[in-house]
Amino acid sequence: MTPLLVSVLGIVAVLGLYLATISGRHTQQPGDFVDAGLALPPWVTIFAGAGITLASLSLPDHLLLLATFGLQYNQVAVGLICIALCAAITQKRVWLAARLTSLRTLGDLLGDYFGSTTLRIYLLLVLFLFSIPFAAMCLSQAGALVSAATANDVPSGLAIWSIAFVLFLCSVIGGWRGIAYLVAAQSLLVLALMVFFGGFTGFTLDKLAFAVNGIGTASGVLPDKIPGVIQFSAGIGKELPAGGLWTTFAGLTFALSLGGIAISPGFSFLGVTSAPRRGLAFGQVWMIAGLAAGTLILIGPVLAAEIAASGSLTAFTTRLATLDPMVAVGFTLLLVASSQIAVAFFAGSGASVCTIELTSRYIIPGMDQRSTRFAARVTLALVYGAVAAVASFAPLSATIFSSLTLSLSMQLLPAVLGLCWVRWISRSGVLAGLIVGSLCVVFTESFGLVLFERLFVDLPWGRWPLSVHSAGWGLATNFTACLLVSLFTRSSAERDRRDRLHDAFEESQPARNGSQAATTAKWALTLLWAFFALGPGAILGNTFFSEPIFAGTVVASGVPSLLIWQVLFWFVGVFIVWWLAYQGRLSVIDERPRHRIVLVPEVNPLFEPVSTPWIARLLDRVTGR
Amino acid sequence: MTPLGKNEALDRHALVMACWLAAAMPAAILFEYGFGRGGTPYILAGFAAILAGFVAHVIVNVVYGTGFSPRELGLGLVIYGLALVLFVVLSLVSASFAAHNFLPLSIGFITTGAVVVFYLITRYGARQAFAAFDVIRDFRSRSPGDHI
Repeated sequence: MTPLLVSVLGIVAVLGLYLATISGRHTQQPGDFVDAGLALPPWVTIFAGAGITLASLSLPDHLLLLATFGLQYNQVAVGLICIALCAAITQKRVWLAARLTSLRTLGDLLGDYFGSTTLRIYLLLVLFLFSIPFAAMCLSQAGALVSAATANDVPSGLAIWSIAFVLFLCSVIGGWRGIAYLVAAQSLLVLALMVFFGGFTGFTLDKLAFAVNGIGTASGVLPDKIPGVIQFSAGIGKELPAGGLWTTFAGLTFALSLGGIAISPGFSFLGVTSAPRRGLAFGQVWMIAGLAAGTLILIGPVLAAEIAASGSLTAFTTRLATLDPMVAVGFTLLLVASSQIAVAFFAGSGASVCTIELTSRYIIPGMDQRSTRFAARVTLALVYGAVAAVASFAPLSATIFSSLTLSLSMQLLPAVLGLCWVRWISRSGVLAGLIVGSLCVVFTESFGLVLFERLFVDLPWGRWPLSVHSAGWGLATNFTACLLVSLFTRSSAERDRRDRLHDAFEESQPARNGSQAATTAKWALTLLWAFFALGPGAILGNTFFSEPIFAGTVVASGVPSLLIWQVLFWFVGVFIVWWLAYQGRLSVIDERPRHRIVLVPEVNPLFEPVSTPWIARLLDRVTGR
Repeated sequence: MTPLGKNEALDRHALVMACWLAAAMPAAILFEYGFGRGGTPYILAGFAAILAGFVAHVIVNVVYGTGFSPRELGLGLVIYGLALVLFVVLSLVSASFAAHNFLPLSIGFITTGAVVVFYLITRYGARQAFAAFDVIRDFRSRSPGDHI
C-alpha cells in the first residue's frame, strides 16, 4: 500500500503546487500576496468554510471519540450548527466593518473600535495558538496516520516534514490566494470522500456494525444515550462522570466552543478577504450547517461503529485494505487531507495576519508592497518551521496548548458582538470579561491545572468540572463581567467612535428585522432549538422515539432514538440558519459600502503619545534603570 | 458571453480543478474496486462519479457564463480517446478482462459519450454542435491562400 499512498498524496501535492503557481503568476500587485487583493471568489469561502469546520474538529479524533463514547458524542456534530449560527451573526458585519474602515484583520478592527492595544495582543495570542500548537497537533496526526497506514515504511517524522515542506512551498509561491485555493480544493475533496465512504462502507462491508450492534463502546459508557443533563463530578483527571462524559451540558458548552472557529482571527480573515455577495450565506447554511454537519451526524456513527468493531483506526484501515488497497488509501487520504486543511489554513492565515498586525504595524512600519511580501514569506517560513518542529518533537505539548485554542477564541464573542451589533458594550467591559473568562478557561483545562498543581497545590477540580466544557465556564463569567462593567461604562469617552461605526452600518446595510413578531419568533425559535437540540432538552431524545411518552409501549424503530432526535434537530437547525442568513439578511450583502469612515484619527506625535500609555510606562520602567 | 477578467479566469480554472479532484478520487477507488472484487455495479458507479465531475464542470461554466476552453476540450477528448483505446486493446489481449468488464465498460463509455453529446445539443443546438466538429467544412471554408 505504501507506493500507492505516496503516489496519491504526491498527486494531491502536485495539484496544490499547480494551483499555487498559477495564482502566484497571476498576482497583480506584490501586496496581494498577503490578502489576495481582498477579492477571493465566493466558492473559496463556501467550500473552505465547511472544510475548515471539519478540520478544526480534527476528523480522526472525532471518529475515535465517536467510537469511544457512541452517540452521546454525536451531539458535537449537531453543534456544528453553532458555528454556522455564530458565522451568520458576525461574518457579514465584520466584512462590512472592514470595508468601511479599510482595515483588513479582526485584530485591527477590534483594536481600533475599542481603542485597545490589549485586545490586539490577545488576538495575536489566539492567532499564535491556532497557527502553531493547533496546526502542529493536526500535522502530528497526519504524520501518525501516514506512518500507521504504511506500517512505518514512511516514519512519522518524515511524513510530518514532507507535508509541512509541500504546504510551505504552496503557501510561499501562491500567497494567500494560493493557500485559499488549496484549502478550498481539499475541502471539496474531504466532503466528497466523506459522503463516498458513507455509501461505500454500506454497500461493501458484509454486515454494518452500526446496524447489527450499534457502536461498541467500552463498558460503563452508554452507547446510544446521553448520560444525564449535568453530572456533579469533579472533572476529568479527578472523577469521571458515570455513563460517559458527554452530558447535555458538556455537548452544549463544547458546541459553544466550536463557535470560536467562526470568530477566530483566521476565519475572519478568510471572510474579510473575500468578495462575496451571497457566498457567505450559502457557505453558512448549505455547506457548514447542511453538508458538514449532516455528513458527520449521519456518516460519522457508521464509520465509528466499524472502527470500534475493528479495535482501532489502523485496524479499520487494514480491514479496508483487504477489500482493495485503493480503498484504504482513499480513507487515509480523507483523514490526512482534513489535517492538511487545518495546517495550511491556520499556518497561512497566521502568517498573513501576523504580517499585517505585527510586522508592518509595530516591527517595520511603512513597508512597501515588495517588502511586505518578503516579510510574509519570512513569517511563513518561521511558522511552518515551528509547526513542523513542535509536531515532530513535542506533540503532547501541542495537544495541551491546542486544547485552549477554541475556548480562548470563543472568549472574544462579547467583543465581536460589540463590534457587530451592541454599541453599548464598552472597552472596560470587554477587557474585564476577557480577563475573567480566560482565567476560567485556563483553570478548567489541562494546561492551567497541570501548571498550577505542579507549582503550588492540588486543586479540588479537574478538567471540565460538572461536565461543563472550559468554554462554557469562560463564557458564563465573561458575559457576566462584561455586561456588568459595560452597564456602568457604556457612555465612556470612546462611545463616539463606536457610534460612528454603528451609524455607518445602519446607513449602508440596515438590519432587516421585519415586524417585531417576526424578530421575536426568529430568536425565540433559535433559543428553543438550542435548548432541545443541544441543551437540557436533548435528554428527551434518549427515549423519545423508542418509548414514546403517551404510548406506554416500546417501539422498535431499528435506529437509536437519539440518532433520530439528532437528525430531526439537524434539519430544524439548517432551517433556522437559512431563516437568519437569507430571510433575516444577516449574511446577504446587498451592496458594497459607498463611503469610508476613520475610527482612529491619525495621531500627531507632537501632541499625543504614539505608543499606548501602559506600554510606554513599562518600557520606561525597563529602560530607565 | 463576456470574456472573463484575469482573476475570474483564474478562479474558474481553480474551481474546475477542485471539482475534478473531488470526482476523480472516488472514481479511481470505484474503478479499482470494480475491476477487482466489486464487479459491474462499481465500474458503473465509477462512470457515474466521472459524469458527476462533468456535471460539476458544466455548472461552473454556467456560473461563470463560459463554455469549455479549447484546452479543456482537448484534454477531455484525449483522455476519453486513450481510455477507449486502452479498453479495446485490453479486451483484445486479455480474455478474462473482456469476460468480466466488457459490458460495464461499454455501457460506461457509451453513456459518457451520450451525455457529452446531449450537453452539446442542449447547449448549442444540433446544427451548431455538429459544426464544431465539422473539420471538412472548416477546411473548405479557408481560401486557397490561407496559411494554417
